[in-house]
Amino acid sequence: MTALTDPIAMEVFSNRLLSITEDMGNTLIRSSFSTNIKERKDCSVGLFDAAGRLVAQASHIPLHLGSLLGSVQAVLAHTPVERMRDGDCFICNDPYLANGTHMPDISAVTPVFIDGAVRFFAANVGHHSDVGGPVPGSISGRARSVFEEGLRLPVIRLVRAGELDEDLLAMIAHNTRDPSERSLDLKVQIAANARGARLATDLVRRMGLSSVQAAIEDLLAYTARRLRNRVRAMADGEASFTAFLDDDGLGGDPVPIRATVRVQGETLAIDFAGSGPETRGALNVPESALRASVYYAVKALLDPELLPNSGLFEAVAVTAPPGTLTNPRFPAAVGARSITCNKIARALFGAFAALLPPERAQAASHDVVPAIIFSGPRREGDGPFVYLETMGGGMGARTDADGMEAIHVHLTNTSNLPAEALENEYSLLVDEYALVPDSGGAGRHRGGLGIARQIRATVDGIVFSVRSDGHVLGAPGLFGGHEGGTARLIRNHGTDRAEELSSKTASIVLAAGETTRLETPGGGGLGDPAGRNPAALARDLRDGKISRAAAEREYGPGLVARALGEASAAG
Amino acid sequence: MRIGFDVGGTFTDFTLHDTDAGALHHFKLPTTPADPSEAIAAGVTALLRRHGFEADALRFIGHGTTIATNMVIERRGVPTGLITTQGFRDVLEIGRQVRPHLYDYTVRTPEPLIPRERRLEVPERIDATGAILRPLDEAAVAAAAETLASQNVQAVAICFLHAYLNDAHERRAAEIVRARLPEAFVCTSSEVLPEFREYERFSTAAINATIGPRMERYLDRLLGRLAGLGAAVAPYTIHSNGGLMSVETVRRFPVRTCLSGPAAGVVGAAEVARQAGIPDVVTFDAGGTSTDVSLIQEGTPAFATARLVADYPVRTPMVDVHVIGAGGGSIAWLDDAGALKVGPHSAGADPGPVAYGRGGTAPTLTDANIVLHRLDPMALLGGRMAVDEAAARRAIDTAIARPLGLSVEAAALGMIHIAVANMSRAIRSVSTEKGHDVGAFALFPYGGAGPLHAVPVAMECGITRVLVPVEPGTLCARGILLSDVSLDLVRSEIMPATEAAWPRAAAYLAAMEETGRAWLDTERIPAERRRFDRVIDARYKGQNHEVQVRLPDGPPDRAAFLDGFAAAHRREYGYAIDGHAVEIVNCRLKAVGLVDRPSPRFTGGSGAPQPRSRRQVHFDDGWHDTPIYDRATLAVGASLAGPAVIDEMSATTVLPAGWTLRVDAAGNLILETAARSSASGDAAHRETVSRETAA
Repeated sequence: MTALTDPIAMEVFSNRLLSITEDMGNTLIRSSFSTNIKERKDCSVGLFDAAGRLVAQASHIPLHLGSLLGSVQAVLAHTPVERMRDGDCFICNDPYLANGTHMPDISAVTPVFIDGAVRFFAANVGHHSDVGGPVPGSISGRARSVFEEGLRLPVIRLVRAGELDEDLLAMIAHNTRDPSERSLDLKVQIAANARGARLATDLVRRMGLSSVQAAIEDLLAYTARRLRNRVRAMADGEASFTAFLDDDGLGGDPVPIRATVRVQGETLAIDFAGSGPETRGALNVPESALRASVYYAVKALLDPELLPNSGLFEAVAVTAPPGTLTNPRFPAAVGARSITCNKIARALFGAFAALLPPERAQAASHDVVPAIIFSGPRREGDGPFVYLETMGGGMGARTDADGMEAIHVHLTNTSNLPAEALENEYSLLVDEYALVPDSGGAGRHRGGLGIARQIRATVDGIVFSVRSDGHVLGAPGLFGGHEGGTARLIRNHGTDRAEELSSKTASIVLAAGETTRLETPGGGGLGDPAGRNPAALARDLRDGKISRAAAEREYGPGLVARALGEASAAG
Repeated sequence: MRIGFDVGGTFTDFTLHDTDAGALHHFKLPTTPADPSEAIAAGVTALLRRHGFEADALRFIGHGTTIATNMVIERRGVPTGLITTQGFRDVLEIGRQVRPHLYDYTVRTPEPLIPRERRLEVPERIDATGAILRPLDEAAVAAAAETLASQNVQAVAICFLHAYLNDAHERRAAEIVRARLPEAFVCTSSEVLPEFREYERFSTAAINATIGPRMERYLDRLLGRLAGLGAAVAPYTIHSNGGLMSVETVRRFPVRTCLSGPAAGVVGAAEVARQAGIPDVVTFDAGGTSTDVSLIQEGTPAFATARLVADYPVRTPMVDVHVIGAGGGSIAWLDDAGALKVGPHSAGADPGPVAYGRGGTAPTLTDANIVLHRLDPMALLGGRMAVDEAAARRAIDTAIARPLGLSVEAAALGMIHIAVANMSRAIRSVSTEKGHDVGAFALFPYGGAGPLHAVPVAMECGITRVLVPVEPGTLCARGILLSDVSLDLVRSEIMPATEAAWPRAAAYLAAMEETGRAWLDTERIPAERRRFDRVIDARYKGQNHEVQVRLPDGPPDRAAFLDGFAAAHRREYGYAIDGHAVEIVNCRLKAVGLVDRPSPRFTGGSGAPQPRSRRQVHFDDGWHDTPIYDRATLAVGASLAGPAVIDEMSATTVLPAGWTLRVDAAGNLILETAARSSASGDAAHRETVSRETAA
């Protein structure tokens, strides 16, 4: 093991550097206007060294893990350091021209000049609620190319030596559906970087450049070393797992995503050969989003507290064959990549399970980012609304615990809109918001339950769309555990007009009184169901989380009888 | 005579205010967890006897308690049932559908407060305007009550959608349930918290119900004990918002005491800081396992409307306290990739630091302070507790110093630097989240480990002034004596802040003032000692979170409110948007009964400061022969220059070179430095390391 130069200084400086990114993140969230950044915190900030290595990141969603790295590299490729000027700020979003993850995520990158030389980059990325294109929000699972996904921004120098290019900003803003919000949020992104630049400069002035740089070298070496230690503790070998999307966004057969994990000593390589071809719809995953998915899974499975910096990235090799949905070619559409990213996480969790000690393994979760979108007139009659919500589902079981019920997994973690808030704003009524009984995959430990959300239109003309998955194939179980329940989308549930809709339903119009109900998938079970603790099964039966019929089918009448017998004996 | 006591996890602290002599007396006893009123009675008796008073001389009894919080954390609430709107029994379990840790799936969402089998639905529905869409099915409520009775529940929470707007169904359901379960504790979401957003309201009501019955038993025991002593007045309890409430109110709304103790400390700090003429402070309450931080601006603590208690949301007005998982007991360790970490594991009070000789083997932050002689290496607590410095040295040497190739001193110094860096990062984050520059504040340390680490933390945060109060270890008990009687009321209705809608807001405020006035009558507060604070939670239309706007006295004025909103939004978020529609979400009123605040005369020592002793103390730049002062001997107006150490029973203040200290008129220690930089400490650390590497 290479010794660190000064572990104490490393730890102290690590806190100071994280403080800078936390301050930038607070500034960005506090000052932004859009709900996406301010309330959903769909944004991240990072501090990079002059070589473009990520030093510290404050990330609020895993989908941004390392994705800023791509933006900084794109900026460096576009403008060499010697042509940058103090006060410049670059922005970009395009997946093919600037390593973006999809068009609504706009990055801002600011070189930090100290005594005349670039010493750091301050960077941040925010999800803008609209960047133009044919649909509000700029994301459609049915988009066929990036030209249908809004404004493409290559690397653009929006601020030149402290001078904001107002003309360019106006051009960008007016190609979106809410120009004033776009313009305000972009200015806030620029300001957050300026704040980071000032704080980084202060730190260097107080502590000296050489001590800051020495601590950074230690920090990156330490992070890589720590991850390699975790890899060394895994079994040597190779394991693959194939996860499936229900369809390619426009229908058709399930699309495979195949992850292969190779461990040799302390090297970790991940490859996606065997994954399906580019999809016709917008389910393709550009490189930055693929890397984020890999880094997320590695961190979650091997070392959840590992700091996100370039030390982590350098310890993992990632490859994907061109022309697959894991490495799409221009101009394949990428807007709805988050659904695929969660399925990539499923493939990785599945492949890692064979090489990890069993107590770290986890059965597949719902692994979808089901989005429901309603639009129509506001309740107060003052203009139209667009309401989008991404729903949670069941988590996969672990060797020592059932999966959690009703949570977001993997690359997203966004909170719901309370029914009372929704009904205050929109011409909608929530009929039911509940767990889905019988949706947890059976096993020694069972998968978590999915969520049902049934919403009623209270006026005519409510337009409803959904981007979902897992309607065909449930979450696979692990080590003998059973598959979790699949998703269902039903119009007018419980009436004689009830009809099941497809997982990528676009723009159906609801009359007053009509309802839509999305039930999200449960998690996979782990271990042979026969080994389930009868007391746990009894509790699920009492709680109505599993029906008697399903329990007898999945666990066998004998175990059910024992569970009920013991429960009545105890009660 | 007035007495305040704070029941903490380890100690119960008492402060007696002798109103005739203007003196404050402090006392401390170990808490008796099985029946906290036991230590309370013992302490009150001892303190009164020591100063020659009878219990019937007490004109005021106030107390802070962590009982409610501990019941939630330890899940000791009673079996409870929930009756809710059809379709919504799982609100308590789904929560906000987020996982608690982004990467670590072993960190789990909490078990629901009420298991699914005891969450029952009844047909009824009220919409977002308060209109009844579906009448309450009273037979279904009765049937649900019977089911809960057969499940032997001792408490029932009744939680219906939009009940904050129209509580008719909840009230009727409560009547039906009370008739069938006369022994049970029954509460409705609209009486506990009439605010919109169902998960937070239901959760708060559910917690209120689960802890209700045990809180009643505790209050009965406490009343019995105090009456037995001969006390003629009933005790007040401090609530999470730093005000006092009567026993009757606590019985109905025990959830409002969830932050009782920390709130008292912050109220005490705000008052002490205001009187000292230093109105902007960051409080830094460092204990054995954790550190509480809060912001006080212009003498007023920052308030919040919600927080998590044991991972469950509790929504109630409260002092905004942030908890950092680092304290004197934080354990230092090396990970397998060569990094030195301090915390998050703590040796706590048991087994405690190695030097305490109670079985601790892992080196803690306290051990590092003993090895560096910042804490007395012989004995603590005024000589009552022996300290084993050699054991602390051995532990640091074995676990940290040798593996890193450092001297014991460099390792101990490193532990402190890392802990200080962790704590400072948290303090900066708390400040920047609110848009404040922490360097403009003074640091206000209290708790056992606060004054010890105050100067290093101040330096790391760029703070140049530190205020150490008298008796930093008993500030919470003192805060209770400085609190006013108050009741928080709220009405929730989302409405535009237009000329047309404004009378509705004004009507809510007037109605609440009426309720508040009636309550103050029952508290027997005379008219000249009453105050009504009115706040409106508002937001720009389209936003989903609110800022609080305080209304000036007089009839509610819309223009003044809109100006106040723009100013508050600018303060919180750095901008305001001219002409954008504003929405009112909650109208709040706080009815306040002002109490007499003690302004005790401080009588310190006299003459120029004389050290009690001297010892070698290791500062960031090495060992210094350092004078040790007994705080009680320092006179008002006395001043000192570092290096120096100031000891008192419950705390130790460390003053490095480059800092000065003076004793103000109230006995506070005011520590100051001219330099706003932490460079010196760091450079010194590097020198220490390089010297040792060279040697």
